[in-house]
Amino acid sequence: MFVAPALLLFGVFVLYPMGSALSYAFFSWQGTSRGAFVGFENFVALFTQEPFTTQLPRAFGHNIAFFVGTMLIQNTLGLGIAVLLHRRARTRRMLQTLYAMPYLVSPIVIGYLWTLLLSPTFGPVNALLRQVGLKSWALPWLGDPTTALWVVVLVSAWQWVGFPVLLYGAALGGVPEELSEAALVDGASHWQTFRSIVFPLLVPAIGTVSILTFIFAMEAFALPYALGGSTGNPAGATDFISLLFYRTAFENGSTNAIGSSSAIATLLFVVIFGGAVVATKVLRRHQVRVGA
Amino acid sequence: MTGTIRRSFTALTMASAMVALAACSPSSPSSSSGSQGDTKNVTLSVWSWRTEDVAAYTTIFAVYEKNHPGTKVDFKAFKNTEYNLILTTGLAGSGGPDVAQVRSYGQLQPSIASKSLLPLDGVVDLSSWDANVVKSAKGKVDGKLYAVPLAQQTLQMFYNKDVFAKYGLTPPTTWAEFMAINTKLKAAGVTPMAVGAKDSWTLPMLHQVLAAPRFGASAFETAVTTGKKTFTDPDWVASLDVVKQLKPFMPDSVVGVAYTDAQILFTSGKAAMFPGGSFELGFFQKQNPGLKLGVFQVPAPQGSPAMEPTTTGYADGAFGISAKSHAQAASKELVTWMATKEFGQLVADNVKQLSAVPGVSYSDPLLKEMKENYTKNPTPYLLLVDFRYGAPSGTEVLGTGVQELLMGKKTAAVVSADLQTGVSQWFKPGK
Repeated sequence: MFVAPALLLFGVFVLYPMGSALSYAFFSWQGTSRGAFVGFENFVALFTQEPFTTQLPRAFGHNIAFFVGTMLIQNTLGLGIAVLLHRRARTRRMLQTLYAMPYLVSPIVIGYLWTLLLSPTFGPVNALLRQVGLKSWALPWLGDPTTALWVVVLVSAWQWVGFPVLLYGAALGGVPEELSEAALVDGASHWQTFRSIVFPLLVPAIGTVSILTFIFAMEAFALPYALGGSTGNPAGATDFISLLFYRTAFENGSTNAIGSSSAIATLLFVVIFGGAVVATKVLRRHQVRVGA
Repeated sequence: MTGTIRRSFTALTMASAMVALAACSPSSPSSSSGSQGDTKNVTLSVWSWRTEDVAAYTTIFAVYEKNHPGTKVDFKAFKNTEYNLILTTGLAGSGGPDVAQVRSYGQLQPSIASKSLLPLDGVVDLSSWDANVVKSAKGKVDGKLYAVPLAQQTLQMFYNKDVFAKYGLTPPTTWAEFMAINTKLKAAGVTPMAVGAKDSWTLPMLHQVLAAPRFGASAFETAVTTGKKTFTDPDWVASLDVVKQLKPFMPDSVVGVAYTDAQILFTSGKAAMFPGGSFELGFFQKQNPGLKLGVFQVPAPQGSPAMEPTTTGYADGAFGISAKSHAQAASKELVTWMATKEFGQLVADNVKQLSAVPGVSYSDPLLKEMKENYTKNPTPYLLLVDFRYGAPSGTEVLGTGVQELLMGKKTAAVVSADLQTGVSQWFKPGK
């Protein structure tokens, strides 16, 4: 009864548009007017027709690489920072805030900022590298397909690292002091205490961070758009599924743009939803095992 | 503890995934009947993406209101990047515009296919206009006219007169002279051409400016659209090689240089030339008011099928009438006025753009020169004018292809073959 208002809002603003987007994928379109029901034709086209047959797998690969890259950085660096901060009671608050600062800024702004910093003509990063004698390191970071994707990963991790720091900070606060103290009294080293007592209790938080990173990485749009434009410059090296969706929906002159792009959106939803459900299941099983 | 967290977390997971999908759904079309309103005491809502030109259009429409008592024009501008979506919604539902600025060529087709715009055949007569420009406002399938083109852009080489004077250079008239200028500037430590190849959309334009005569310009357009030739034609491949050949005269690691960096290289005098569109003029003049600008057409490269240099042009925006407008008679009157020289002249004077209306004169000497060059030797911006009617668009494929070409990852022949494969997905010759 009391959930009714919230449910209504959720239904009108989330479920209904979602359902209609799903239905759009099963029709052929003439601009904004809906044509005949075509079943899975729009989906089949994603796997049989150019440009999708080359661009979709490529973009998907980039999304996965982006996920793995950011997850590794956030779970190692983020956890490391959180553990170090946890021991510094006095400056913890201030530093947590500082680390979280970049994610208060729009990814579009962050993207343009780094484009300027990394510019091969005027960028201070390359100027600095040249001055300290690392001339061979002064690369066109965003203009070389071998480095561009990793720049996106690093900039994203730089922007979002404050988030896992906060989550891990909270999780560390939830680990009872007595456990660590008892272990230390029993002669365990700091590292042993962390590995055998604190770390297992952090696993739920690590799972949470990983799943949120997965969702975030699969639907990444703003930062890649700001760093590489809608075509994933250079030469598609920073193309993501969301950018492919954007091009299909808004930039090509195809009159069936709504059909094809809705099919991409639905596919993306299935991947994100499926991935998140499986990961949550695995995480839950682990929690049952450690009895947390 | 974990129970609650787990539940709320699952909900959060689902919610974020759903938002991703929900954000993608366009509004569904709703039906309402348009009726003929009378032309007396009517307010026409006009939509545009030119937020920077609101003042100019207010001036322009004030002239119209003065000569058409009883008609008020309510000009509304929306953010350029969100305009397509806003307009799609506006044309489909109620509360939309009577007259709307619409995109050109391929990007106009979805609005036509959904029957959101009124056909204007018999309402306005554009028979004396540049066919390239009129094509921008026509339906690809039915060939009917759906809008009155507003502006035109030309593509050519800009140059910095002071830098040219410093090294004793004059605009080239032969390909050999053009190469000599580049070589001399490079030897003097000046970047000859400011190119921002990181932004792939600029590259099909670069190709047009540097090498249109090499693939045969307008003659090639006819051949390729009728199916007599394809993009694997040796002249087309050679035209891409021209771009590659000029790479030493572009900034170092050019594929990493952003378009905005290229603009600054040029306006700051660090680069001597800028291959670009007439739309750059306002920005260049604002960025560096002391900049002495000139323009020239790049001479035809050796071996070109046509040895005349050309200026590339295309229409950029048009005004059409919403099929849902309740004041169709008054709207027709307004767009008819938009096809007159009076309106064209007002646009040229106030918006500082090349008008699509023939016979307009320009007070800015550079605009005048660009227009004259185009009138003398016009050629269409081929991949925009003819190959942006499906996915993948020709401009998208070639933009990426030229990046691969400049990085040495693909040869001109492979890039051309990719382009042919790409557009073949939807392009059928002769249609």
